[in-house]
Amino acid sequence: MNFELTEEQQLIGQSARDFAKEYLEPIAVELDHSGTFPKAAVKALAKHDFLGLLLPSEVGGAEAGFVSYVEVIENLSRYSAAVASIVNNHTIAAYTIQNWGTAEQKKQYLPGMAKGEVLGGFAIYEHGPTPGVGPDALVAIKHDEGYVLNGKKAFVRNAGEAGVYVVFATTDPALGAKALTAFIVKADTIGIKIGEKLETMGLKGCPVADITFENVVLPETALLGAVNEGAAISAKALAVVSVAEAAQTVGIGQAAVEHAAAYAKQRVQFGKPVATLQAIQTLLAEVATDCHLARLGLQNAAALIEEGKPFEVEAAMVKSFLVRLGSKMLLDTCQVEGGFGYSEFMPLPRMFRDIAGTNLLDAPGDFPEKLIAASIA
Amino acid sequence: MSILSPEQQAIKQSAKEFVAKHIIPFAAQYDKTGEFHPYLLEASKESKIFAMAVPKEYGGLDYPALTQALVLEEWGYGCAGMGTTLAASVLSMDSVLVAGNDEQKRRYFTPMLNAEIGSFGLTEPGAGSDAGAGKTTAVKVGDEYILNGTKCWITNGGYASVYVIYALTDPAAGMKGISAFIVERGLPGFTIGTVDHKLGIRSSNTVELLLKDVHIPVTNLLGKEGEGMKIAMKTLDMARPAIAALSVGLAQRALDECVKHVQKTFTGKSYPGQTLQFKLADMQILVDAARLSLHNAMQLRDAGLPYSKESAISKTFCSDVAMQVTTMAVSLMGTYGYIELGKYMRDSKIMQIYEGTNQIQRLVISRAVLAPPPAVAIAQKAGK
Amino acid sequence: MPKCLVCYKWTLDEQDIKIKPEDLSLDSSRAKGKISDFDRNAIEEAALLVEKNGGAVDALSYGTPTVKQSLKDCLSRGPEKAYWIADASAESADANVTANVLAAAIRKLGQYDLVLFGEGSSDQFNQQTAARVAALLGLPCLSFVQKMSVEGDVVKATRKLEDCVENVTVKTPVVVSVLSEINKPRIPSLKQVLGAAKKPNEEVKIADLGLKPEDLQPKAVRKSVKGFVMQRKNIIYKETSAAENVAKLKSSLAAEGLC
Repeated sequence: MNFELTEEQQLIGQSARDFAKEYLEPIAVELDHSGTFPKAAVKALAKHDFLGLLLPSEVGGAEAGFVSYVEVIENLSRYSAAVASIVNNHTIAAYTIQNWGTAEQKKQYLPGMAKGEVLGGFAIYEHGPTPGVGPDALVAIKHDEGYVLNGKKAFVRNAGEAGVYVVFATTDPALGAKALTAFIVKADTIGIKIGEKLETMGLKGCPVADITFENVVLPETALLGAVNEGAAISAKALAVVSVAEAAQTVGIGQAAVEHAAAYAKQRVQFGKPVATLQAIQTLLAEVATDCHLARLGLQNAAALIEEGKPFEVEAAMVKSFLVRLGSKMLLDTCQVEGGFGYSEFMPLPRMFRDIAGTNLLDAPGDFPEKLIAASIA
Repeated sequence: MSILSPEQQAIKQSAKEFVAKHIIPFAAQYDKTGEFHPYLLEASKESKIFAMAVPKEYGGLDYPALTQALVLEEWGYGCAGMGTTLAASVLSMDSVLVAGNDEQKRRYFTPMLNAEIGSFGLTEPGAGSDAGAGKTTAVKVGDEYILNGTKCWITNGGYASVYVIYALTDPAAGMKGISAFIVERGLPGFTIGTVDHKLGIRSSNTVELLLKDVHIPVTNLLGKEGEGMKIAMKTLDMARPAIAALSVGLAQRALDECVKHVQKTFTGKSYPGQTLQFKLADMQILVDAARLSLHNAMQLRDAGLPYSKESAISKTFCSDVAMQVTTMAVSLMGTYGYIELGKYMRDSKIMQIYEGTNQIQRLVISRAVLAPPPAVAIAQKAGK
Repeated sequence: MPKCLVCYKWTLDEQDIKIKPEDLSLDSSRAKGKISDFDRNAIEEAALLVEKNGGAVDALSYGTPTVKQSLKDCLSRGPEKAYWIADASAESADANVTANVLAAAIRKLGQYDLVLFGEGSSDQFNQQTAARVAALLGLPCLSFVQKMSVEGDVVKATRKLEDCVENVTVKTPVVVSVLSEINKPRIPSLKQVLGAAKKPNEEVKIADLGLKPEDLQPKAVRKSVKGFVMQRKNIIYKETSAAENVAKLKSSLAAEGLC
């Protein structure tokens, strides 16, 4: 069993790290303050082929594997998890079109997405307990020329900046989630209203908003995958994105533990650097350990994705681990830095606010443990 | 929860109503801007709540420790930042309660009857957990002390009328050379420095204090020269549970908001599954246990019994619980949690850090845990 | 359309190297490899020249067997082909040995108009290799180059010397060593990184270079490498007045011959 990344994967990761240090480090603080979408950074990402990373070369992608992708996300997240979020949400939309789209759909949307000319968004969540269920659920009624969509999607990332959304709607409210169906929707389609930008605790700069659909007419060709295949598609896509989000968590955690360790080595109290105190050593060690194990777990899941093997259970395990212990990486490193870990002029508070956004349940009660238990019992 | 007397229940209810009217509707706005909240001091004048720890003979409410904890839990429930303003003011007056003479007490406590606040000035850039490493000096000249130094992360510093400042009267004696002083606002040479922008408790005012040749009369010395650290430690013992109280309120609030959201989300046929139910149960278990540990410490104090270990335990446990519960609240509620419940998570972190980090608390607790039982200690002392 | 060769060294990343406090020896066990810093500038400069003037860049490196790890990194930065010499002799090689090997290899590989080096390596920083190679090949050498351009068979360069800046022109073929300020190496795009795998590399065996055993013997033998830790004297002057403190400081400095 080889635990080392291939040379190529290492180089891609290093490239992402150098890129992040050059383009993201200088803007990270300002981005967090303003929350304004970082157009220049996204352009630079596109130029370095990060926005078409997984896509095939025919559409202009870099055709790299998923392990390389998580390496990129981890390294970008060390400097700006918000930008990594933008990349993730764009990539998952492209990934969905790549894996379930028709040849025409791929030709129509993917080249622009690979070049970063068109940003993607993934509209799955709703305010109800499950997508497709409840009074606000997005419903798609079959029409002679296609479908008419009415309802609301919640918490859509890249909302307002994306040029194309992968949207999930139920074709039959009586069946709810069982009739969930995927569509490709252009942002400028009539009837789409991007809601007010929502204020999140962190990952500022990656916009989040609800999207309302009022009699949105979609042609038959907007159907992505088969009718009622939406639940399966979204489950797989969300599983894939959860591995990438895990890479965000680990990237932030790794940067935090390095910062806290450096702080502890120079902060003298009681006549010695606090790094010599067991209390501090314990905190740093636990974070480093959790980071390391999470990384191994997510790389394993990523390798399975790359090899086209079943990966959902492994992805759920990583998610379960990080829902429970992801934010702890910043709770503990902030503790190491004491008052300095609470002052916004230092980097850890921003990382604290960012990391909490990378290990959320998809919806209240939507626990990854369910899938894991189903695989063993 | 402990069984409360009718009087305690009434005070708790009163605090609840005050918080519902004056804190909850404004907390989010002040958190966003990070501005201090003079309006709240104004609104508190009538109830004299900022004098809740002031003894009756000085015109205060003279609440027992447990009652103070009930009030602070309600304030923490409303907004941990605004609760910190109250808690830190009481912290500072606790030093005067411990070591002040009658005249000093009157001078320090009277402003609080009118919702003016106090500030506790111990921490310095080089003296955080190592509180005895402070470098601020107080040189005696005639019938004055002249103070020089810098204090940082001082709560209420920008708005207090009265301060307790710790300074070295005998630098050669190190920790044993620290003394405690009352300093009044507006003295020449006493300036408010930079305001700290924080991850949480944003509406709480946190500043640097700069002292350059600040002259104070010798009558501002609390207790005797060299007693500073003893006074500080006694003060912190008394004040730690305040943080525990804020933490319990904060944790309960996060849990209540979670429950509200779950009830709103799962309507009709849908129902939160067992896993989610059990997580909510776990959160309530922790909050209840935290509250009980706090009430236990407060009852010991009110009974005049030793409570130093229990004080440290309640501060540690309650703040750890707040951190755990608020973190769970955010991740369990998904993006809704990330948008609406983030403040509670941000506010919780400082509870584990200020007024003695939870690592320092564990030192206090472990010393008590590892200390030989009294009989053995006596025997050891007798040289057996 | 110059035919460029850039020579680079695969070194250890110094920020991964830890100094053992007991004896100040170096722990390089966790150190990753990297292309020596100034060599990265040389590779970038070659890539820029070729982008501007046409032509192609080859790369050449002499190192221990770990040098193979450098190939993809190098090829993602512009060169079309990488030549490598992997030999144990590189471990203890001094500038003399390195120059012998590289010059022999260059003679074997053919005619280059321009041979680029970094001014010095990030581990040794002897600043000799370029000049020695030039001497062995009988070529002119331009060192301390902070700016350069190529027009036909003429190389124009600006050399940064200690107290002045010198503009020179030389006809190719020429050896050039560059300073770090000559350019800022661009970060390879992912396509460049992935494309590196498709570019050719070729081993040059040291045995085929026609060198004598003494050519591979270092003349300067490295006995040990120790870390440097700055020891602070931590002397505090606590006289009653500033003037007295200054006087005391002055006499201490004078006693150490510093003023």
